[in-house]
Parts: sequence; structure tokens; C-alpha cells
Amino acid sequence: MSDVEFIGTTKVYDDGTVALDALDLTVREGEFLVLLGPSGCGKSTALRLLAGLEDITRGEIRIGGSRVNDLPPGARGLGMVFQSYALYPHMTVRANLAFGLRRGRGDARVDAEEISARVEEAAEMLDLHKWLEKKPRELSGGQQQRVAIGRALVRRPKVLLMDEPLSNLDAKLRNRMRFELRRLHEAHGTTTLYVTHDQVEAMTLADRVAILSEGRLQQSSKPLEAYHRPANSFVASFLGTPAMNLIEGAAEGGVFTAGELSFALPEHLAGRDGPGIFGIRPEDVRILDNGDGSGSPGEVPCRVGGVEHLGSDTVYHLEAGGNWIRALRRRTAGQAQGTAGGQDREVRVSLAVPAALIFEE
Amino acid sequence: MNGNTHNSADGGQGSATLAERWYVPVEIRALRVWLPFAALVNLLILAGEALRGNGAEQLGVLGAIVLLLILRASLPDGRQRWRRYAGQGLAAAILVLGLLSLLRRDATFYDLWATSWLVVPSALALYWMSAGLSGSWCAGAQDAGAAELGLARNRSLAPRFEAFALHTFLIHAVALVVAPVIWIVDVSISPGNILGGAIFDAFTLEHFRAVLGGEAFWLWTRNSLVVALGTTLVGLLLAIPAGYAFSRYQFAGRKGAMFVFMLIQMFPGIIILVPYFMVMKTLGLLNTSLGLIVAYSVTALPLCVWMLKGFFDAVPRALEEAALLDGCNRVEVFFFVVLPLSLPAVAITALFSFLTAWNEFLLALVFNTSNDAYTLPVGLASMIPATGQLWGDFAAASIVVSIPVVILFVLFQRSLIQGMSSGAVKG
Repeated sequence: MSDVEFIGTTKVYDDGTVALDALDLTVREGEFLVLLGPSGCGKSTALRLLAGLEDITRGEIRIGGSRVNDLPPGARGLGMVFQSYALYPHMTVRANLAFGLRRGRGDARVDAEEISARVEEAAEMLDLHKWLEKKPRELSGGQQQRVAIGRALVRRPKVLLMDEPLSNLDAKLRNRMRFELRRLHEAHGTTTLYVTHDQVEAMTLADRVAILSEGRLQQSSKPLEAYHRPANSFVASFLGTPAMNLIEGAAEGGVFTAGELSFALPEHLAGRDGPGIFGIRPEDVRILDNGDGSGSPGEVPCRVGGVEHLGSDTVYHLEAGGNWIRALRRRTAGQAQGTAGGQDREVRVSLAVPAALIFEE
Repeated sequence: MNGNTHNSADGGQGSATLAERWYVPVEIRALRVWLPFAALVNLLILAGEALRGNGAEQLGVLGAIVLLLILRASLPDGRQRWRRYAGQGLAAAILVLGLLSLLRRDATFYDLWATSWLVVPSALALYWMSAGLSGSWCAGAQDAGAAELGLARNRSLAPRFEAFALHTFLIHAVALVVAPVIWIVDVSISPGNILGGAIFDAFTLEHFRAVLGGEAFWLWTRNSLVVALGTTLVGLLLAIPAGYAFSRYQFAGRKGAMFVFMLIQMFPGIIILVPYFMVMKTLGLLNTSLGLIVAYSVTALPLCVWMLKGFFDAVPRALEEAALLDGCNRVEVFFFVVLPLSLPAVAITALFSFLTAWNEFLLALVFNTSNDAYTLPVGLASMIPATGQLWGDFAAASIVVSIPVVILFVLFQRSLIQGMSSGAVKG
């Protein structure tokens, strides 16, 4: 177990694409860090640079304090779980697990007894005993996934890398494996770097989440902190379903104006002046029936443009002065369905809530 | 074709029901397809006879062909009675012509087959139009209920008719392929050196004894084996790394080299024959196995490299990356992961190289002037000089020579199929 440091790590491809732009990030020992971002944001590149599968253009990567830029992949003490699992099709599960141990040389040499002991241990841990003599293609997706994890762990890696490991599983299995991954991590405490574009995986698995966009690190913090206090509008819009409402406009004298829409800012934002993006999560938007509107300046009249019933939640698409606002109303115990109004009804919403944010860009 | 079998419960009232309008007995359907086909086959037979100079005797067949086509055009439609009578008359006429032709011909297998293409279709047509359910349909004696039953019957009978038709076709296709083999086997076991004559009318092993007992044959076999195995070995040693490099690495001239490999394939070998000969002569490689190995390897290499590259492309990169993380270096990755997964492709490539060398004739003929350096194809050719052709020995030798090829194909069958469906490797 060791910590991992990316220091100004940059990857520029031959065609000039900057896949990763001066990434500074530390994964602390024993930490489960999730690299999160949309496709093409550089998260997989960061992982592949760390694994040694691609060359670093500038900057460096350290594992346990020592620079690994020029070490071959096998010498970095890593275990990796691939999206496609990448199990060796021509070997049995046992041979797959043992393959890496057999390749150990010098200090990393493992004798035959130790190899079979470790394979047994991995099989025990991941419940693979029944499958040890089978070929990967005879296994289901979930079982192949376990073998892939076992193969990564059996070498006792300093750092465990996972590249979208759950994306090839069906939804039900994915939820179960997610839970198991977290349990495994708590049992072993191996430093883990996990790449995904799925925010649910990030929120549930991570000790800390690092959000990337276009090769740049946007924010690295605890998952809930990233949710509640996003560093910028990208993080704000990327995390959360439905996405946060972002209204582009300008603040002046405690009033936020965006086109025809104008409303008073909540107290904690009242001091902000100049152009900005007003952000509020759909679940923080309070829908007031016309009767109980207090007429306070933070309230905005809206027209209901569309309603989506999701069962537990209801999403309202509200039109206010040329801007669209999504509002989420949760079903409360005993209530059949949110009933804030049908299509085209006029309602009022309150935007001046303590959870509202203003971003510079 | 029998999709519309919906029951119209009010059948019989007013105009014809859906079933009545759709129903055509499967026998009549079969005639619609097979009568033109029979006419075509008879036309081919007639053309063959004409080439042999027997055309004039077959005028009756020509008439029968015309009648077959007329019969096809006037098959009964289930309503007009006269069409049934016309059809029966035509079929009977064709049958008579066919039987007459049978009488004039010999009773050889070929003649029986040729006449059967007249007799069988016409006899079936006559029977189907006269008797049974199809016969009464042809007579126009059907109602809605009969049509419903008929459609159900069509549905159950159609697969059998299709199977019969398919097998008839396949038997003809197989016969076309097998006939030359039977012929050469016959020549090889017939006494003397006569071509043609009756099949399997006599049996002798004299030709096999002559071939296998002579020294020359074993010498040629040894030469051929050395050349073919050498070509296979050299071809694989060069093609495997080349294919892998083309598949996995980016380097200057990669695309150009691939293109040139294809380009070389497009030149007919005979263009470079003379320069080739001079090169071999200068290097002192005439009349040696090494010279042929070099020449064949060069010939077979481009296609081998392309085949292997295609297969290596299908091995997922993630597998190699997993092996790298498991501590392999590049060479180990190749030997432990990529090569074992590509064995079917390697087998195909090996087979291809082997066969190229085993069958090649032109280069072997030009490069080898001495009888001792002949390979099997050249040796075989030397058995049929302008005078005193040893057809029997030649046939026996060709059979012996093709046996290794057949054995190789049987052995590699599974790999061949696997290799050809190369997408089968999954990560």
C-alpha cells in the first residue's frame, strides 16, 4: 500500500490532442479515489499513464514516493481490472489468477506453494472455488468480473486500478458488485483508483472523488462536498439527477437578473455583484401554490411546461421569463403523487434558499 | 408462400374465399419450378451431345424441351378444365419422346441419367395432374373446405418437396466434383495406359507398384517434403513477427509496406521468371531445395502476413495490457498470450505455405534441370512426355501425391473453420 502522486502530469497525443493537462492529484494511502467525468475527459488516460500503458509527456507520477515514469507496467506493483475484464481466454480461472505470480522475478519471485496458497485465498475471498478449473468463456459476466478482481488482487498490489469495471454488467448485478467492491476495499484497505462516468458509483464508492473535464481537474473532495459545494458550474451540472438548474445572468444590489427573469438573492449571496451563473438544485426549488405565496422578492411566477412522474419523485419543468427551471418534488409517506399542478398551470417558486449558489463561470 | 391460411368461416358464399384464391397444390408449385429447370438440364445435355457430334440424333429431345416449356406455361390453374387436358396431353407426349430416346440410347449410367431428366418430370406431371388431390384440383373440382385442407396439406408436404429438390441439386453438384476423381482412380487401377473406357471394369495395382517401387518417386517426394516443410518454416518465422508488427506497431512506411505486399500479389509469376532464374543462377541455387524454399517463401509471404495481421488485429489489446501489468515484457506477452490465441490462424498460414510449395510447378520446372532435384509436380509431368505417355503411372502417382494434402485438411479442419471465423476470440 502506498500513496500515488500525479505531479503536473500531462499527456499530449501525436495528433496534438491534450488528453490530460497538468494533473496535480494525490491519492492517499488506503484511500478509494474515484476519477469521475464524461467520456473524453482524461480520466482513463490518467489511469493508463499510472499503469504505464502509455508514456507521460510531461510531469511525473510517483508511487510511494518514488518516480515511476520510466518503469515498465509490471514493475510498478499495480493490479488492474479492465472494463472488458481481459481474462486470458485460453487459460483456466486458476491459471488466470496464477499467471501474474508466475511472472514474478527477483524480489517479486513467488514460489509454487505460495502461488497456490494465494490463489486459494483469492478464490475463497471472491467465492470462485467452483470455477477454478473452468475457462473464462464458460463463466457469466459477474463471475468473470470476480476473476478479474481476483487476478488484480492476488499479486498484493500497492495500488489497485479499476477502469469502469461495472459498465459491462446489467443493472441489478452492477448494484450488487458495487456493494461488494466497497466491502472488499474496507476489508483490504488497498489504495484504489477507480475510473467511471457513473456518478452513482462515484458517490457510493468513493472516499474522495476527483472530477475531470477536458483533461483538467475540476474538483477533488469528498463526494457529498462535491455535491453540495461544487467548485464550478461544470461540477454542479455534472453531479446530480436531474441536473442542477443553472441560470446565466448578473447580480446587482442583491437582485439577480437573467433576461426577463429577476428575483432577490438569498441572504448569503446578497453581497455578490457582477455577471455569474445562479445555481439551484431541483430538490431545493420550492413550488408554492398560488394561494400561499408570501409575495417575497425571492419568489418567481412560472408556468408548468411539463411534468415527469418517476414514481418516488416528480420532476416539473417550469418556464419563468424565458428560463427553464427543473423542480423536484419527492413523494412523501402516504401521499400518492406530487400534485403541484398539471400542464400550463401558473405557479410560484421560491429560489432564494440557503442552498443556492453563484458561480463565476 | 402459405402464409395466408386464415379461415374464412363463411366459405363458399359469393366469390372465392381467400383460401380458394391462394390454394395451389404443392405438386403443381413444384412443377412450376422444376419444369423450366428440367428444360435447362436437357438443353445442356443436348449441347453436350452436339459437341460430341451426336446432335442430329437428338432432335426428339429438342422437341421435348419445347414441349416442357409449353407445359410450364399452360399448367392447370384449378378453374379451366381444358388446361388439365392440355397438360396431360403435353406430359404424355414428353414421356413418349423420353422413352423413345431411352430406346435409342445405350444403357450406360450417363444415358440413363440423361433420359431420366425427360422421363421423370413428365411422368410426375402426368400423375399429379390425373390422380389424387392435385388431380381433382386440376379438374376444377374444389370448394372452400377442400382449399383449406389443401393449404394445411401443402404446409406439411412443402418441406419434403424442398428437401427432395435440394438433395437432387446437391447430388448433381457432388457428382460434378467427384467425377474427375473417380475417373483418375479408374485410370490408376486399369491395366495399360488407356484413357477412357468403362469405369471400374478391371483392377490392377501394377501402376502403384511401378510408381512406389521406383526410386525416382521417392526422390521427388523427399525433395517436395524438404521444400514444402522448409517453406512452411521460413514462411512462419517471417510472417508471424511481420504480421504482429503490422497489427500492433505504428512505424514509418507501415502503410506503404502493406500496400506493396498486396501489389506483389498482383503480378503474374511468369513476368519475373527470367530475372528470378538469373538471380538463382548467380547465387548457385539452381537444382537445390534452398533455392525453391527462398522463392516459395517470398511468394507465400505477403498473403500469410495479411492473414496473420487480420487475426492479430482481432486479439483484444486489453489482453496484452493485462499481461503487461502481470509482469510480462513485450516478448513474453506475445508468446504467452497472443500466440496461443492465434494458433488457428498460424495453422491456416502453415497449411497455406505448405500447399503453395507442394503444388507449385512453374518455378520448380525452370529452376531444376536435373532429374534428381525434381519436386513431385515436375516429376509427375515428366511421366507424360510427347511420346509414350504413362497415363496409368501418372494417375497412380497423382493419387499418392494428393493423399498428404487430404490428410492435412482433415487434421486441420477444426482449426481452419475456427481461423476463418476469426472474430471468435473474446476478451
